[in-house]
Amino acid sequence: MSLVNLAHVCSHLNNAAKARLGLTSIPNSQLHLKLCLALQNSGYISSVVRGGPSPPPPHIILGHPTANDEVQGVEPVTQTNVASRRLWLGLKYWQSEPVLGKVSMVSKPKRRINIDVAGLREVIRGEKSGYVEGLRSPGESLYLSTDQGILEARECVEKKVGGLVLCRVL
Amino acid sequence: MGKKTGADWSSGSAENFGDFRFPFQFDFATSSSTPPSPFPPRPPLFTTLSSPTASAAGQRAFTPSTTMSLARPARCLFCSFTRATPTGARVPRRQFHASPPSLSDRKPKFANMKASNLKTLDQISRDLKTDDFKAYTEEEKAALKENYTPEQLAAIEAGEAAIDPKDMAEQFSIRRDPMKLHYLDDMSTIEPGVDKAVKAPGSNSDYNAKLKSDDDFVGDFARFFAEMPENANAGDWVRFLETTRVTVGKEENELSPHSSLVPDLFGPGDSMNGEIPLPQVFPKDRNQVRESEEMTDALKRLLLSTGFSVSYIKSLKTKALVSHSVVNQTRLGKVRRVYCLSIAGNGNGLLGIGEAKSEESADAMLQSKYRAIRSMQPIPRYENRTIYGDVKGKVGAVELQLMTRPPGFGLRCQHLIFEMCRAAGIHDLAARVSRSRNPMNTVKAAYEALMAQRNPEDIARARGQKLVDVRKVYYSGRV
Repeated sequence: MSLVNLAHVCSHLNNAAKARLGLTSIPNSQLHLKLCLALQNSGYISSVVRGGPSPPPPHIILGHPTANDEVQGVEPVTQTNVASRRLWLGLKYWQSEPVLGKVSMVSKPKRRINIDVAGLREVIRGEKSGYVEGLRSPGESLYLSTDQGILEARECVEKKVGGLVLCRVL
Repeated sequence: MGKKTGADWSSGSAENFGDFRFPFQFDFATSSSTPPSPFPPRPPLFTTLSSPTASAAGQRAFTPSTTMSLARPARCLFCSFTRATPTGARVPRRQFHASPPSLSDRKPKFANMKASNLKTLDQISRDLKTDDFKAYTEEEKAALKENYTPEQLAAIEAGEAAIDPKDMAEQFSIRRDPMKLHYLDDMSTIEPGVDKAVKAPGSNSDYNAKLKSDDDFVGDFARFFAEMPENANAGDWVRFLETTRVTVGKEENELSPHSSLVPDLFGPGDSMNGEIPLPQVFPKDRNQVRESEEMTDALKRLLLSTGFSVSYIKSLKTKALVSHSVVNQTRLGKVRRVYCLSIAGNGNGLLGIGEAKSEESADAMLQSKYRAIRSMQPIPRYENRTIYGDVKGKVGAVELQLMTRPPGFGLRCQHLIFEMCRAAGIHDLAARVSRSRNPMNTVKAAYEALMAQRNPEDIARARGQKLVDVRKVYYSGRV
């Protein structure tokens, strides 16, 4: 679990959203994939597709690459091509503003921050807990790496699991 | 006593409007085996099955159900005979409410009717014919005889004969002309709450009463002599003197005037000199004078461009927050002018800032105020008291953060942001200004931060997810 690469991903997503890109790619890894799926689950990004160095072909109807494209087909991951795989993310915009406004790391490569459920309860109530600031704006989310996968902070409280705080999305 | 309106109103249940079915004293007369006491019987001291607090339930456990008691509403004895016996044993249960327990085997108040026999009021009034108002048959008269004395019966028959059935058919139908009322009313009674109340006069006094003049007395005498009988005696003269009034106005005022010890109060519209002063809702020419004083060209242009009225612009909260002199260095020397930054808000969600420069400080202030009014924009407010979430603003070196706060927190922030919040109608807010605290840039950054709030509706639409305000759910929308 390289938080250095995750920090690069966060910066890249911020830059891509500021540049109003519709499709961007990040290096492929299990952590990145799970985080992107969590972001997609929360509605921050529109699509997550694992592809090669060039963008995967768009869906014939939807107009953007999809993971379950039956017409174009999705290239399977093999031992020979896994190193060249990238995650292609569809970014969302609403009223000329990026939906994924600002992604910032909470844990740093040199200082990993873990939080328990009691602390998370305070955080989602808007209070500061330890090194983690509260979620005080509407639509703000915090993503944690737990032993049940990468979850949003409110999901963690529902499932009563704590974990490593990855990043904050506003 | 109305005419019999036939069986069309409801399927035969209202055969006769005039018969009382079972008078109440009948119950007491027949149930005299248990002498009625003025107090309801005490509940048993030890009730194993019923709660000691529920006296009605304890009462029911104590006495058989057919015995008449004062604790329960009086009911007809015959009805109690026809009542079906309860299927299961009636177990007194604990009552969780104060109302008396309903008896499940109680007869319904109204007989069941088939839907096919029911009619709407419109149908009834449309179908009303003269034949519907029939005279009483012999059987009905015999039934009436059981309840009414012969004198009452004679009065009923006389009343029936006095009204023509044709008139009844016309009068009883529901009006459909354009002047009809929008509610059903037979106008025969004064309904409290609907009709205008007819009140007794509040007082006997008539402040507008005055003594009769000589001419009035001459007229009275003339009428007396004109109407005097042939053989008039002294009694007529005395009666005339005693009955002739000496004042004009309300008669009660002269006959039983109020005492000087307890004088009457003026009613609405009464006055000592008879004039009725009209209440003045709007003070007359106060606004007009002010308008003419201040109606400048700049104000006219402001009215024209914004479409606001003069009174609305006067009601706006404007304040000059920043003012200092600025210098422009030219070839000819320094040109001093006054810079002013003002805010304007309506105290209910609108806020604008305006800045102006002028040689005169008063002119700069006025210009900046008008510009602030022109630039007023709606500020998103959560529950009309605070902001949505924490927001940041940055202008120049001023960086500030505005923080949402719970109800009753107040405005805990520096004076510039306080004034802006007051003008915008924000009541709960905290603010922190970091780095520089330049007043002009602070105001601008605070405005930028206020405008940078994100609407939760937009966030939900953008993310395609449902967002719920938990506070609103908890207080069921009454916050």
